[in-house]
Amino acid sequence: MIPAGSLLHAVALHKAYGRTPALDGADFSLHPGEVVAVMGPSGSGKSTLLHCLAGIIAPDSGTVRYGDRELTAMSDAERSALRRADFGFVFQFGQLVPELTALENVALPLRLNGTRRRDAERQAREWLERLEVDTVADRRPGEVSGGQGQRVAVARALAGRPRVVFADEPTGALDSLNGERVMSLLTDAARDTRAAVVLVTHEARVAAYSDREVVVRDGIAREGVAAV
Amino acid sequence: MSAHEERAANQGSGPDPGRASWARDLAMGLRFAVGGGREGWIRTALTAVGVGLGVVLLLGAASIPHILESRQARGDARVAVNGDRPVKRSSATLRYADAGTSFHGDPVRGALLRPDGPDAPAPPGVHELPHHGEMVVSPALKELLASPEGTLLRERLRFKAVGTIAEPGLAGPGELAYYAVSDRLAGEDGSFRIAGFGSRIPPRELPPTLLVLIIVACVVLLMPVALFIATAVRFGGERRDRRLAALRLIGADRRTVRRTAAGEALFGAVCGLLLGTVLFLAVRQGIGSVTVWDVNAFPGDVTPSPALAALVAVAVPLCAVGVTLVALRGVVIEPLGVVRSGAGRRRRVWWRLPLPVAGIALLLANGQVGTGGGTVDPYLIAGGAVLVLLGAVTLLPWAVEAVVGRFRGGPVPWQLATRRLQLSSGPAARAVSGITVAVAGAIALQLFFSAIQGDFMKVTGQDPHRAQQDVTLPSHDVATIREMVARFRTTKGVRGVIATIESTASRPGPVRRGEDFPPSTQVTVGDCASLGELAHTGPCKDGDVFVVKDSTGMVDTGYLFKTARPGARVLLNQDIRTGKPDGAPRTWTVPRTARVVGSRKDPSGQTAFGIFATPGALDTAALADPRARAMVRTDPAVADAAEYVRNTAARIDPLMDVRTLQNLERDKQFGSVRTGLLVASTATLALIAAGMLVTTLEQLRERRRLLSVLVAFGTRRATLGWSVLWQTAVPVALGLALALAAGAGLGLALLRTAGKDIFDWSVIWPMVGGGAGLVAVVTLLSLPPLWRLMRPDGLRTE
Repeated sequence: MIPAGSLLHAVALHKAYGRTPALDGADFSLHPGEVVAVMGPSGSGKSTLLHCLAGIIAPDSGTVRYGDRELTAMSDAERSALRRADFGFVFQFGQLVPELTALENVALPLRLNGTRRRDAERQAREWLERLEVDTVADRRPGEVSGGQGQRVAVARALAGRPRVVFADEPTGALDSLNGERVMSLLTDAARDTRAAVVLVTHEARVAAYSDREVVVRDGIAREGVAAV
Repeated sequence: MSAHEERAANQGSGPDPGRASWARDLAMGLRFAVGGGREGWIRTALTAVGVGLGVVLLLGAASIPHILESRQARGDARVAVNGDRPVKRSSATLRYADAGTSFHGDPVRGALLRPDGPDAPAPPGVHELPHHGEMVVSPALKELLASPEGTLLRERLRFKAVGTIAEPGLAGPGELAYYAVSDRLAGEDGSFRIAGFGSRIPPRELPPTLLVLIIVACVVLLMPVALFIATAVRFGGERRDRRLAALRLIGADRRTVRRTAAGEALFGAVCGLLLGTVLFLAVRQGIGSVTVWDVNAFPGDVTPSPALAALVAVAVPLCAVGVTLVALRGVVIEPLGVVRSGAGRRRRVWWRLPLPVAGIALLLANGQVGTGGGTVDPYLIAGGAVLVLLGAVTLLPWAVEAVVGRFRGGPVPWQLATRRLQLSSGPAARAVSGITVAVAGAIALQLFFSAIQGDFMKVTGQDPHRAQQDVTLPSHDVATIREMVARFRTTKGVRGVIATIESTASRPGPVRRGEDFPPSTQVTVGDCASLGELAHTGPCKDGDVFVVKDSTGMVDTGYLFKTARPGARVLLNQDIRTGKPDGAPRTWTVPRTARVVGSRKDPSGQTAFGIFATPGALDTAALADPRARAMVRTDPAVADAAEYVRNTAARIDPLMDVRTLQNLERDKQFGSVRTGLLVASTATLALIAAGMLVTTLEQLRERRRLLSVLVAFGTRRATLGWSVLWQTAVPVALGLALALAAGAGLGLALLRTAGKDIFDWSVIWPMVGGGAGLVAVVTLLSLPPLWRLMRPDGLRTE
């Protein structure tokens, strides 16, 4: 049964790496503009759940629907196109492209989606300003601090105005002060643009920025306690 | 890091400046290499395999002097010398005749022997002389004769194989050779008597231009090997640096870290040295079964010169340590595990440019040499070539940095590639430095080759389109000659035979005033078709006669007409020694209807003149001491036509000389140098390709996580594929441009040294194309791993 108005909905996801099960019948749903925290201990399968939801990897069984489209039935090229157009990503260590400047990194998803360089860089600059890192626009990732880098990564995730942002431990490599700042900017910007956020974290402090929590344990996702 | 911090870091671990601390740090590096887990082992294995492959080539190169000496010694030992003074027959002598042939383009060395007594000497490698009708053969010939491919050769060598020629009697294991015993050898068939085998034939001194060529070739071929070894030592360097950062975290200072890295590299290099030695020994054992460009050698021949082997054993580990220490100067390893390229210092051109300039100056300082003489200073030539090529290698990183630094914008793949190169152009430049040197060297050598080959190639004047084989018929009996010609005409694959019987005609009567002997000329008898190949006869029918003038202008027509003119009576049996008829005079009158025509170069390149008669006009039985030649035209559609012709010749007489007509004849030394170069450059190019592939794959592995992230964004495969292609293509294009400049510069300097001004640009482009092709192959081979690395598995550790 698909919850009414859900944007992203997964049912009975199974995924194993070799003989090790990562997901064992996980269910998940996400509504437009909603911020959902996926929590759980290390190795519980939360990152795998995120990758399946984003169409990065295909589950062994189960279905993932995005709007009226079945992700699990789409080809690799179709899923790639969907990720370029509708999804944004933030990873633990930023994972910015080291050879590109901060501005070029933020413009990259736009350019991959066909936006002209000049327009892409103009929009990227706006996002850098919004995330208070416009001063490092022309610096490469190796020349900025961890917090600045992560904010650049958030700007990159949001620049393409995605409908869903997938954030995998976005504050895992930051101190608490920087972590809170990044979370605050990420969730505010997401809410402003009506983007939904799937936030994988094991920190309650980070999960507190979400509207709802889902706990993954032994590959099974269960509804958690409302954080806000 | 501030000076104070650095001082503190250096003091932190209390470094002992003595040997003990060196040994301790090196030992720690060795322990890392051995016990560094899977990553450490992969790195050590990559280095060892890379260095090992380089060592195989170096040891191969170090074996060349011994290979040449061994072949020369065995060649000398089997020579049968036909000296000025005839050898007296005794029980310890034998008659010897060369009976070599060729089969499917491969030479078959052969000799017929006839022992004069029981003590007749056996050739080297032959334990005992076989009996009449028997032969001993080389193992390769034995194998060929036993195989279906050898059927035609079996028909030719109709002796019973009773033994094998051992190593001392062969140039190489692949040589086709036989010694057959025939009791029909006599004095008039070209055989001669010998009392033993072996003679010290002083090796022909190499012409200076060829010596220059060999020196430059050695430099050109060995430099990429050295570069490859240097690259192999750096395999997995980034992961090693991260490991070293952990050492810094627990208090190791920079010197300790460098020595530890050196120890790790030393271990990899020593493993590579051992692996290379084992591989070399393994390859050496199987070397006899491999023939590359007609060259093969016995395993025993492939023995490195002790001094050169010792040099390899010492230089490779030292090179590994040196390269590691130099490489670490470019990175800052800090305790927090951050490894950054050192301070973004711009590369300077001022110290790089003088290298090739100095190289050219050294080459020009040698002065001019030529085939006729001149002195070659090997140190100047080698030093000059090394400096020019080294200059190209050192200029390359600067050129890549300077050029890619100007790139702005462009499509995403281009931007990703150029930004990557801007961030770190060193690895890319290193990856293509081998190909730069190889192409630069190849361009220089090709220019030099094309300029000097005229000195070593002889235009024979033969026309292989009109006839393919030239046979000298060993008989003076006209009936036998006719029968032989008939046998060639009926041989499978033969389309025609240009056959002539030649003799001499002279003016009858006494010698006149001013003459030392009566004027004479050549008489040639053949059918119309054959005569038409030797003279511009025009319409011809049996019974016609022609007086043929020498069109080359070498022979005075006036002198020719003293004997050969229409209506003239000529003597056909003059004894050359006495000037008188040999027996009763046999005269013949040149018909008044004989036409005077010009001569024509025959397919073997010779020009004949005099009286040309068809058989209906002149009975060949009247000719004295007739000689016969046959030039055979074969059908190109019959694959083995040439072999059938040789078989017919062998059936008539095993000693019959059958020459293949060719329009160019190459000097043997020049040919062997060119062959050697082809062998070595094939091996070097394979090594370069392997090195580039490993480097590219390693760079991709290093970027595995990033590739996964880009895949997560939905980046197309094509975008990353093009990015990898541009990332390789830009340095390669710059490398090839530099190679073009350095190769042309080196080639011009060498041409000037050789006193040549021929400058053939056309030889350059195949080299550049070959280099680009090699890169394209490497890029294509690296695409499947790229597709595999573009899977999202790299995100799993997130």
